[in-house]
Amino acid sequence: MREEGTIEQIESRTIKQGLDLKGGMYIVLEVDLPTLMETLAINKDNRFNQSITSIRDQLTRTPEADFFTLFSSASNDNNIKLSRYYYDFGSSNEDILTALGEESEDAINRVLEILQNRVDQFGVAEPTIQKQGSQRIIVELAGVQDSERARSLLESTALLEFFLVKDVNITNEILVKIDQALKGDETIADVIESASVEEVEETKESNDQTISVSELFGETEELGASSDSAVVDEDMFAERPFSSMLRNLGQAIGIPEKNVYAVKKILERPEVREKLAAAGGTFMFSHKVEEYPLVDGTIEKMYSLYLLEDEAELTGGVVEEAKANLGSQGSTSAGQPIVNLTMNSDGARKWSIVTGSNVGRQIAIVLDKKVHMAPNIREKISGGGTLIEGFANINEAKDIAIVLRAGALPAPVDIIEERVVGPSLGADSIRRGTQSVLIGLGLVLIFMLIYYKVSGLIADFALIWNIVLVLAVLASLQATLTLPGIAGLILTVGMSIDSNVIIFERIREELRKGKTPRSAVDGGYDRALTAIIDANVTTLIAALVLWQFGTGPVRGFATVLFWGILISMFTAIFVTRTIFNLFTNRKNLSKLSI
Amino acid sequence: MRIIQETNIDFIRQRKVSFILSAFVILAGIISLVINGGPKLSIDFKGGTLVSVQYTEAMDVTTVRTAMGNVNIDGQSFDFSREEIKHFGGPSAILIRVPHIEDAPQNFAQKIVDHLYSAFPEKVPESKTDFILGKGTVSPKIGSELSGKAVMAIISALGLILLYISIRFEFRFALGAIAALVHDVLITLGLFSLLGYEISLPIIAAFLTIVGYSLNDTIVIFDRIRENAKASKREAYHGVVNRSINDSLSRTVVTSLTTFLVIFILWLFGGEVIHNFALAMIIGVIVGTYSSIYIASPIVVQLHENAAK
Repeated sequence: MREEGTIEQIESRTIKQGLDLKGGMYIVLEVDLPTLMETLAINKDNRFNQSITSIRDQLTRTPEADFFTLFSSASNDNNIKLSRYYYDFGSSNEDILTALGEESEDAINRVLEILQNRVDQFGVAEPTIQKQGSQRIIVELAGVQDSERARSLLESTALLEFFLVKDVNITNEILVKIDQALKGDETIADVIESASVEEVEETKESNDQTISVSELFGETEELGASSDSAVVDEDMFAERPFSSMLRNLGQAIGIPEKNVYAVKKILERPEVREKLAAAGGTFMFSHKVEEYPLVDGTIEKMYSLYLLEDEAELTGGVVEEAKANLGSQGSTSAGQPIVNLTMNSDGARKWSIVTGSNVGRQIAIVLDKKVHMAPNIREKISGGGTLIEGFANINEAKDIAIVLRAGALPAPVDIIEERVVGPSLGADSIRRGTQSVLIGLGLVLIFMLIYYKVSGLIADFALIWNIVLVLAVLASLQATLTLPGIAGLILTVGMSIDSNVIIFERIREELRKGKTPRSAVDGGYDRALTAIIDANVTTLIAALVLWQFGTGPVRGFATVLFWGILISMFTAIFVTRTIFNLFTNRKNLSKLSI
Repeated sequence: MRIIQETNIDFIRQRKVSFILSAFVILAGIISLVINGGPKLSIDFKGGTLVSVQYTEAMDVTTVRTAMGNVNIDGQSFDFSREEIKHFGGPSAILIRVPHIEDAPQNFAQKIVDHLYSAFPEKVPESKTDFILGKGTVSPKIGSELSGKAVMAIISALGLILLYISIRFEFRFALGAIAALVHDVLITLGLFSLLGYEISLPIIAAFLTIVGYSLNDTIVIFDRIRENAKASKREAYHGVVNRSINDSLSRTVVTSLTTFLVIFILWLFGGEVIHNFALAMIIGVIVGTYSSIYIASPIVVQLHENAAK
């Protein structure tokens, strides 16, 4: 009886093919340290916010800079006492920075664990998830087909929050205040303009002439005239610049898709943020765009905008179980994908208090700062159960259930590198790549056989053995073979062949001097040895340095090269030598086939 | 069978010619690099977004360009008609590259794919998975780090190689070897610039292979020089070097030929992904073989003669 799992264990030790060969996705995520530090801080004031903002700017300008070095110098320069914001972490600035460093270390480890958990539940064969440096995580999902789904699964912070929606009257008051603050500000027109056509840095000459619609019809360029800029109610614009971009949807505010960018820009403006902070509210967008029929029969795509209370009533930490389902018959969500939540006892208690004391009000269920739904509370909910609607399809509901189960990330993550190789390109490149390497190898083997006859056969044997051994080592290291890896393999093959060529040419020289096969072989090997060793050691040095400094592909190249050269020195010097000795030891050997 | 019989070519005497030839090629490359403002770096180093898609019919690049003139993503419009848009492999595949944009919309690469998909509804495969050949977004953050590390790795590798060759041979041999390496990489870099090909991470791996290959070639010849110089101390140095190159010529040709064979097949049949990578290696093998004979060894002779004066 075989031990259970042996085959699986052996199977797991085959060489994995990298994304460039197989298709799949590669993502580098970076933990957003500034935001993590903001989350950890208490009693945040203007000075603190300003210093975090300036650190963010510096990080954008000099990405190599270390966050904590910047944080430390910013605190010292501005004479900020960190204990004001982080008194739980120590008293002196130094102590606090060390503690915060540990906290961020801890945070990334938790992020790693949570991502691992999500990917496992998503069901990808052979995922690779590893930490790189102090704030990055590399995720490799070879062979994954739906890259969009995998991306959103990884990127989601999975921060679930329940906010009360502000009363319609209060919302309207704030809109009026924002309009007043913006009225007469000419830069608003710029914001709307900039949303229309954003010129991207020019890289190539082009003869294409783009003529806008308005030019064709001889109209003068006006706000809202061209089809692709923000749609604004022009009569209203002068009086109420902000409201003119919005639509009334009853319980929520509608934002036509084309206005989203402009609205976001306006909401970021300091004078607007001031008004919102004074009213203790915050605006959030709905999670997806919806189609609304207009009076004139056309359909307009709009997002909803909600004004929420500043503080969340409840967060996702209380979620015990999340399941994706289709809504049951008879309910409002019949047939729709939903996620059923079960809360722990603490959550259930809070939930019943929140719902009990706010009957009639709207409560927004917010995931990653986007409103999924904002139902009216009809009655007190005491069981700790609730459901989320508003998913595009059942897969999305399933993925949200996964991320809610796996828990929220302690800090948001940014995708700083993403590569997706489609399955068709991957399959094509692996087929053609392998084919051509095999053809090339075959030609070399044949060439050696013709050029060096029996000795060529010995060299061929050594070469094949060399390749098998390198692949075996790679498999036992659980390495991934990528394009640069193949480059390393080709160089290895070249050097292995070269070692034999050097030896054979030397043997030929010795034979020409009239030596016997036996002493020609000895002489040839002896004289070739220094050349082979020096050439290989130099390359070995290069491989080691590359391995030390390189990341990703360069490191893969170095790994293959390093092992390839070690093994090729062994096969070219010892293995072929042993075979030659077997031949030449036979006393009657008078001629060497070389 | 023997391709190269015993030869007695005076390689060293031709060194002025080879130096001038190399200088000319390198200069042409450098001029091209200067005109183009440095090597054409891929998004690996610069950051940006790259998308390649497969249509079911041949596509006209100008049509795609026009379609990319107004791309609306979440209410933000972009004009990508002036970006790099070209065929990829065949006439029905299209590749688009967009430089890094501050404040780019979320999931930017996918949004471009979506736009390309919906712009030509009658020419796309049913499933979007079959439509995407590849997409990638790299933040400039990663790129600048990568460049820094690559430079660091190359400098330390060269330093250590210099040290090893100085110990095993002599310092002037080390200088000759390094000069040959720099020569090879400069020529390949220059040719890539002249051809308008971009430098990506796999191309860097190809460069490293070139370096390894050229180094190997050089050291094999140096070894022969070391051996012959020891055996015949009275012979003129330039004669010793010449004889050594001739002695190892047979090996040089056989090895270069076999390596060339493998890479040439890879270039011919390897497919779009491997194509430029194999090309870099082809250039490298030719230049690497040339430089061990015509650059590295003559420099050693030159340094020897300068020292003797």
